[in-house]
Amino acid sequence: MSNPDLAARKRLTKRTSALQRQETLIGYAFILPALIVFLVFVAFPFFASIGLSFTKWNFLGGWKKLKWVGLQNFANLARDRRFGQAFANTFIYSIATVPTSILLALVLAYILNNKVYCRKLLRMAFFIPYISSAVALAAVFKFMFRDDGVINSILLALGIKNPPQWFVSLQLNKIPIIVMVIWTAVGYELVIYMSALQSVPASLYEAADIDRATGMQKFFYITLPMVSPTTFYLVIVRMIAVFKIFSSVNIMTMGSPSYANTSMVVEIYGNAFGSYKFGYAAAQSMVLFVLILVITLLNFWGQKKWVHY
Amino acid sequence: MKKNERAAAIVRTIVVSLIAVLFVVPLVWMVLSSLKTAPEVFARPFHWLPARVQWQNYATVWMNEEASMLRAFANTLYIALFSIIGQMFISSLAAYSFAKINFKGKQVVFMLFLSSMMVPSQLTIIPRFMLFKTIGLYNNLWAIILPAFFGATSIFMLRQFYMGLPNDLIEAAKIDGAGHLRIFLRIMLPLTKAALMSLIILAFISSWNEYMAPLIFLVKKELYTVSQNIQWYMLDEFKEHNLTMAAATSAIVPVVILFIVGQKYFVEGIATSGVKG
Repeated sequence: MSNPDLAARKRLTKRTSALQRQETLIGYAFILPALIVFLVFVAFPFFASIGLSFTKWNFLGGWKKLKWVGLQNFANLARDRRFGQAFANTFIYSIATVPTSILLALVLAYILNNKVYCRKLLRMAFFIPYISSAVALAAVFKFMFRDDGVINSILLALGIKNPPQWFVSLQLNKIPIIVMVIWTAVGYELVIYMSALQSVPASLYEAADIDRATGMQKFFYITLPMVSPTTFYLVIVRMIAVFKIFSSVNIMTMGSPSYANTSMVVEIYGNAFGSYKFGYAAAQSMVLFVLILVITLLNFWGQKKWVHY
Repeated sequence: MKKNERAAAIVRTIVVSLIAVLFVVPLVWMVLSSLKTAPEVFARPFHWLPARVQWQNYATVWMNEEASMLRAFANTLYIALFSIIGQMFISSLAAYSFAKINFKGKQVVFMLFLSSMMVPSQLTIIPRFMLFKTIGLYNNLWAIILPAFFGATSIFMLRQFYMGLPNDLIEAAKIDGAGHLRIFLRIMLPLTKAALMSLIILAFISSWNEYMAPLIFLVKKELYTVSQNIQWYMLDEFKEHNLTMAAATSAIVPVVILFIVGQKYFVEGIATSGVKG
C-alpha cells in the first residue's frame, strides 16, 4: 500500500466520523419525542408502580401517609379471597375462551377461503363484534342474559321450564362473560387466519388432490401444520387479552353482590379507585405483569420449539 | 364437476351464514330494543319487533342535557383526533430513524420500546393518575391523549415499512443536498400512506372504544366519552334500557360505517400486525 493512499484513507475516516456524529445526533433527535412520551407515561409509571407495591398508601391521606411495608402487600394478596378468585378466573376465562374461539375461527376461515358466496359480507358479520365498543356490547349481553331477557325467553320457548338465573348463580355468572369474549374474539382471529391461509402454497393441496386426500385429511395434514405459527401467535395474544379483561367484566358485575366472576383488573381498579388503596392495588398489578411476562417469554421460547412448518 | 363445485359453494355459504346469524343476533336485538318503549324491552312474551318504532329514543339520547351523546361524540372525537395525529407523527419520526439512520445505541432504544408491549396500561395507570393529579391534567381530555402519543405497535410496524423502502431514494436526495428531515417529510413519509391508513383506523377504533382511562381520569360529566355515556344510561335509576340500547347503537354505528368504507385497510392492518414468521 502506498503512502498517498493511506493519507487519503485517513482523511476519509476523519470526514466519515464527523458525518457519523451528525447522523447520531439526528438519529436521536428523531426518536426524542417518542422517547420522552415513553419515559414519562410508560417507564416512570412502571417503576413507580413497582415502588408503590412495597408501600401501604391511601391516596386520600396525602404523601405523608405513605408507609414502606416491604412484602406485606404480597403476603396479604395470597390471603385475599377476592383476588384469589380473580386469579383463578383469569385461567378459567382463558381456558373457556381461547381454544374455543380459535378453533371456531380456523374452521370458519378454512371454509371461507374456499369458494363461497358473499364472502366479504360474511366476514363482516363476524368482524363487527370485534371492533364494536366493549361497553356497548357488555350492556347488550347483560340485558340479554337477564332473568327476563331474550335468552331465557328463547329457552322457555324451547320448552325449558326453569331457565337459569344467569347472574345470580355463582356457577353460571361467568357464562355471559365467556360467551361475549368468544363472540368478540372470533372476528379478529378469523381475519388473521384468512390471511395466513392465503400464504399456504396451493401446490400442497394440488399434490394432495392427486393422492386423493379427503377434505378432512387436507385440513389436518396440510392446513393445521401450515398455520401453526399463526395459531401459536393467536393463543398468546388472546391469553394476554383475557388476562387484562376489564370492560366486559366491570359492566356485567356492576350491581351484583357476588365476586365469583370478577377479574384481576376489576380488582385492581376497585382497590385503587374505589377504596384508594394504591399500594395494595399496585401489588396486584405486579401479579398481572408477571403473568403477562411469563406468557410473553413463553412466546419467544415456544416460537422456536413448537411451531413447525 | 362444475355443478358439484357450485353445490359445494352453496352448502358452504349456508353453513357459514347460519353461524353468522348467531353473531349478528345480539346486534339486531340491540338495534330493535333501541326502538322500543322501556317496558317493551323486557316484556313477556318476548317480541323482536317494537309495537311502534320509537325514533324519539335517539332524540332523547342525543339531546339529553344530563348525558348527551352529541357531547360524548365531540369529546371522543377530540381525543381520537389528537391522539392519532400525535401518535402517527411521533411514531413515524422514530420509525424512520430506527430504519434509515445509522447511530449507536438505536438497538437498545428500540428494544426498550418493544419491551413496553409487555407492560399493560393497567399497570401504569395508578402512577399516571398521581401524575395527572399533580400537574393538573386530571379531568382533562389531554390526560387520555398524551399517553397515546407513544405507540409501540405503530413504531414497530412503521419501522418494518420504512425498512422495505429502497435506500437509493435517500442516497439520491442526499447527493442533492437534502437533510434527513427533508427526506423524511418530503419523500419517505408520503410513501407510507397505506401503512399509516391501517394504523390510523386501528388507533381510531381503540380510542373510540377506550373505557378504563376515561373512567378514571374524566369524572366530570361534561367530559364523558361514548363508553362512559353508555354506562351512565345503564346505571340510570329510571332504568330506561331502551335508551341504553340507543346509546349503544349510536356508539357502534360509526365504527360499522368506518369498517364498510375502509374494509381494505382494516383487514390489512389487522393481518399485518398479526401474522408473523
